[in-house]
Amino acid sequence: MDKKPKVAEKVSPAETVFQEPSILRDSTVIAPLVEYPIEVVVPKARQQTPAVGQRATRLDGRLHGLGQTGYIDDLKFQGMLFAKIKRAGVASARIKSIDTKEAEAMPGVMAVITGKDIPCNAFGPSLKDQPVLAHERVFHAGDGVAAVAAVTEQIALEACEKIKVDYEVFTPVLDPLESLKLETPGVHAPSANIYQKKFIKKGDIEKGFAASDHIVEGQFRTQMVEHVPLEPHATIAMWDANGRVTIYSTLGRITLGRADIASTLGIPISRIRIVATIVGGNFGGKNEITTEPVLALLSKKTGRPVKSTFTRPDEFIASTTRHPLIMDYKTGVTRDGRIQARKIRLVLDGGAYCSWSETTLSKACILSAGPYNIENLYAEAYVVYTNKTMTGAMRGFGAPQVCFAYESHMDDIATLLNMDPLDIRLVNAFNEGSISPTGQKLQSVVVKESLLRAAERFGWNGKGNTNGGAKLLPKENVNGNTVRV
Amino acid sequence: MWYPIGFTVAANPSSAVVKLDEDGTATLLTGTVETGQGSLTILAQIVAQELGIATDDVNVVSADTDATPMDTGAIASRTTYVTGNAARLAAEKVKLMLFDVAAPLLGVKPNQLEAKDHKIVVKGFPQRNMHIGDVANFARTVTGEPPIGSASFNPATVALDPETGQGKPFGTYVYATQIAEVEVDDETGDVEVLRIVASHDCGTPINPMLVEGQVEGGISMGVGFALQEEILFNAQGVQINPNLTNYIMPTSLDMPEVEVDIVDNYDPSGPFGAKGVGEPTLVPTAACILNAIYNAVGVRITSLPATAEKVFAAIQAKRDAEPKQITA
Repeated sequence: MDKKPKVAEKVSPAETVFQEPSILRDSTVIAPLVEYPIEVVVPKARQQTPAVGQRATRLDGRLHGLGQTGYIDDLKFQGMLFAKIKRAGVASARIKSIDTKEAEAMPGVMAVITGKDIPCNAFGPSLKDQPVLAHERVFHAGDGVAAVAAVTEQIALEACEKIKVDYEVFTPVLDPLESLKLETPGVHAPSANIYQKKFIKKGDIEKGFAASDHIVEGQFRTQMVEHVPLEPHATIAMWDANGRVTIYSTLGRITLGRADIASTLGIPISRIRIVATIVGGNFGGKNEITTEPVLALLSKKTGRPVKSTFTRPDEFIASTTRHPLIMDYKTGVTRDGRIQARKIRLVLDGGAYCSWSETTLSKACILSAGPYNIENLYAEAYVVYTNKTMTGAMRGFGAPQVCFAYESHMDDIATLLNMDPLDIRLVNAFNEGSISPTGQKLQSVVVKESLLRAAERFGWNGKGNTNGGAKLLPKENVNGNTVRV
Repeated sequence: MWYPIGFTVAANPSSAVVKLDEDGTATLLTGTVETGQGSLTILAQIVAQELGIATDDVNVVSADTDATPMDTGAIASRTTYVTGNAARLAAEKVKLMLFDVAAPLLGVKPNQLEAKDHKIVVKGFPQRNMHIGDVANFARTVTGEPPIGSASFNPATVALDPETGQGKPFGTYVYATQIAEVEVDDETGDVEVLRIVASHDCGTPINPMLVEGQVEGGISMGVGFALQEEILFNAQGVQINPNLTNYIMPTSLDMPEVEVDIVDNYDPSGPFGAKGVGEPTLVPTAACILNAIYNAVGVRITSLPATAEKVFAAIQAKRDAEPKQITA
C-alpha cells in the first residue's frame, strides 16, 4: 500500500471485445453484431394465460445475450467530464490540510472539491454518521477525501495523485471484541463504540438449562465479504438551466437516494430526478448513495455532465461489505433431542459507519435461534464500530451468518446425542401456528415439509453422521472421503 | 432455515400504477429497480394474471423518480410480496373499471364477470364475452374513462419491545432446507462441493424458472461464503486483496450440481399466494457445506471461510490428538 498504483490506460469497450482472437480484426471475417431486420420470436410461455406459474423468459435476457443492454457506463452526453475520488489509504486519521492547487492547475482538470464543499456532510439510513467526503476525520482507508472532474479519466486519476493530504495518523481499532470493551477509545468519539443493541427475552433460560440433560456450547465466526457485482457503481449527474439535477445511477433505492441527495446538498427533492438503469447486480451493495452528491456538486461547479464509475478496487474498499459476526451459542437439550433453552450472544463488526447495521442487527437477533420451538430464549446482539470498511446491507442481512452458527451447532448436538441430524431438526422445527422468538404466531410454515422433501430428493440414508468415519462409495478409490450428509 | 420478507417493523411501502390500452395490453409503472433478478418479469406476470392477459402483453416502466410511483426498493426479498401486491391491487382496480363498463354491454351485473384469456367473460357462461381491448377502447372513447388504477401496499407489523424483543416484525417468512454432498481431500484439505439439493418455500412460485435461477445464484454466493471469500486487512487497517485476483470467489468450475425443489405452499397475504426467495437461497448453504465437511473428515470448522489450510490444519490436529497405535 506504500507504492502508488500504476495508472492503467483506459481501454474502450470496443477494444476489449476485439482483443482476441486476432482473426476478428480482419474486416472480411467480422460478422455484424446484430442482423437487420431483427426477427424476434416471442417464446410461448410469455404468451400463455394464466400468467402466474409460467416459465416466462425475461425481456432483458435477449438484450444481455446480444450485448445490447445499455448500462450507465454506456451512456454518453455532450461535454461529459469524468470524475475520480481520492481515497484516504489510512484507516484512522485526522486531516490536517489538503492542498489541491497543483491538481487544479493541471490542464484538463475542470474542478476539484473536498469535504468542506458539501453543504451538509452527513447521511445514513438510521444514524447519520457517514460523510459524503471525509470532513476532518478519516474512519476507514476507503474514505473519500477529495474529488476531481476532468476531461478524461486518465487526467482525473493523475490529478488525484497530485492532491496532497497531510494526516495525523491514529492507531486503528480493528478487532470487534476489542472495540466491545469499554476501555477501548471510541472510533467515533465521543460516541460509544457499541452503537446499537438488541435483546430478545422469552421464558426463563435458567429454568430451561436446569431441566436439560445436556448443555452444548459453541462459538462461530464469519468473515467480511463483498457483493462483487459484475457492474461496479456508476453515476452520471447533470443540471438543466432551471436548477434541476438529473442523476443516472446504479442506485437500488431511488426514493431514499433522492432524499439523501436533497439533504446533503441542501436542495428540495422536487429539484432532483433520479433514473436507475438496468443494474448489473446489486445484492445490497447499491442501496445507499456513494458518489451522487459529489458528482452533482462537480457538475454544478463545471456546468457540464459528470460521470464516475468505480474501479474494482473501489468496489472493495469504498462500498459496503457484509458484517463479520462472532456468535456464542449455549443450548440445553433433553436426551431425546428436544431443546429446552438457548442463550445467544452476537457481536457484529459494524465497520466505520452505521449504514444498514441496525437492520442487520435486528434481523440477526430475531433469526438467531433458528426455526425451532424454543420456550426459553435469551439473545443479545451488539454492533460495534471499527476502523474497517463500512459494513452494510448484503443479501441475507445477518441470516447467513447466524444460520451457519445455529445449524452447525445443531449438528454438534446431534453428534453428542448420537441422533440423525435430520431427526433432531424434525423434533424441534416450527409447525403451522408455532410461536416465533418474538411471540409472533406463524402462518404458512413448511419447515418440516422442506426437510423431508430435500432428504427424499437427496437420498438421505439416515444416521448420516458417523462421527467423522468415512463411508467410501463403491466406485471411489481415492484418498478423499466422500460421504453423504 | 427461516427468513423474513420485508423490512423489520419499519414501513416499507410500494406503490404501482397500471393502465390499459385499447389493444388489451397494459403498462405497469413501478419505482422498483431491476437488479438482474427478473423482478420486472414477475411483476408483469402478476399484472397479467389479474387482468387475464399474457405476460408479453404487459409493458413495465420502472425506476424514474419523475415518472414512476414510489417504491422502497428491491431489498429484503420484498419485491414479489410487497411490490407484487401493490401491482396486483392496481391491476384489480383497472379490472373493476372494465367490469363496470362491460357489464351493461353484456347484460349482466359487474360482479358476474371475470377476466381471463384476453376476454371479459360472464362467470359460468363463457360464450357471453368481450375482448378486453374492445372494453378498454369503449371505456376510453364512449364512456370517457380510460382504465387506469393505482395502489400501494405495506406489510402489517407490530413494533418490538426494546427489552424483550417481543412483537410482530415481519408480515411473513419463508423456509428452506439444503443438503450438500462434498468431497474432502484429507491430504490437502481441499473441499469440493459435488451436489446440493435445495428445497425452498416461496409461497406460489410466480415463475419457477426464475426461482431456480435465484436458488442457483444464491448457492454460488453461499459456496464462496463457505469456502473461499474473505476480505483481508493488514495491521494498519488497509485491505490487502481489493481485486479479483486475490479475493477468491466461485467460478462456474466451483459450482456443484444443484437440484431445486419448490415446496408447495400458499400464503394468503401474498399476491396469488407468493412470498419471496431472493435472499433465502444463500442462507443455509454455508451451514450444510460445513456440516458435510464434519461428516466427511470429522473436523468441526467454526470460522468461515473453510479454506484448505484451515481444514488441513484441523485434520492434522485431530490426527495428532488421537491415541497412536504401535504395531508389533
